[in-house]
Amino acid sequence: MALDGVRSYKLNRRRWLGLGVTSALAAWLSDTRVDAQSATQSCAPPIPQNHEASNGGPCPYPIPWLDKNGNHNQPAMPNVELSSIYHFKGKLARCSGFHGMGTDNKGNRLAWGTPTTDYSYMAGEYWAARQAHQAVFAHT
Amino acid sequence: MAPVPSTGLTFTVDGKTATLQMADVPIIDQPRWPAMDAETSPAFLDFRLVFTATDESVKYENAMQQYRFEGFKAKAQLAATVRVPSLDFIFKTDSLETSTCDFAVMGEEANGRYYEALKG
Repeated sequence: MALDGVRSYKLNRRRWLGLGVTSALAAWLSDTRVDAQSATQSCAPPIPQNHEASNGGPCPYPIPWLDKNGNHNQPAMPNVELSSIYHFKGKLARCSGFHGMGTDNKGNRLAWGTPTTDYSYMAGEYWAARQAHQAVFAHT
Repeated sequence: MAPVPSTGLTFTVDGKTATLQMADVPIIDQPRWPAMDAETSPAFLDFRLVFTATDESVKYENAMQQYRFEGFKAKAQLAATVRVPSLDFIFKTDSLETSTCDFAVMGEEANGRYYEALKG
């Protein structure tokens, strides 16, 4: 987070909008609203029983050439992969590079925003565990 | 990872405006990032993000990387509050209308196994 002027140590520490944190939500889609589905499902693949095939976990695949820990690590810009999910089709929006002002709980006026203040949503179908899932994910 | 409330993502009827709203999203405050030993503090984020599509269409496609995005350039505005309880720090942005964004798009994407299947 970009800050202007002289500030305390604590204020200089703020990077909250510069961090990539992936937020996930599984949800069914409707025309105008997205309702939550098993948001807390485990990503761990089930242990196969009776010599069944191991199909992997139900969580989405990351983009293979990007950080598989969930951070996209690639600023949004033209002609790059904007999704954080591989094997995905659906609605997507992405933005980065916010600028604005705000106030902390001590009354200090601070600028916020960096090129990595990066948000997106992905609402549609993804493929995992050998089946399609309808879901919505947010990257914040 | 953070769950989103059931009304977290909404669209206007014409599909040109999308609002993503989440509360108490668990994040980390890591001021010395990207240092390998950068300490972290738990923090929480409330935000409201509004995308509004313009009339300028875009298409980003890469056959080697198997992705295709088709949509529109957009305006994005954000209002947020961040809390770092361990530091007794709270920061609240000004109103959503006062924020600006350098790059934003909204549309439809197909990648991976869906890239070829939906090839138009």
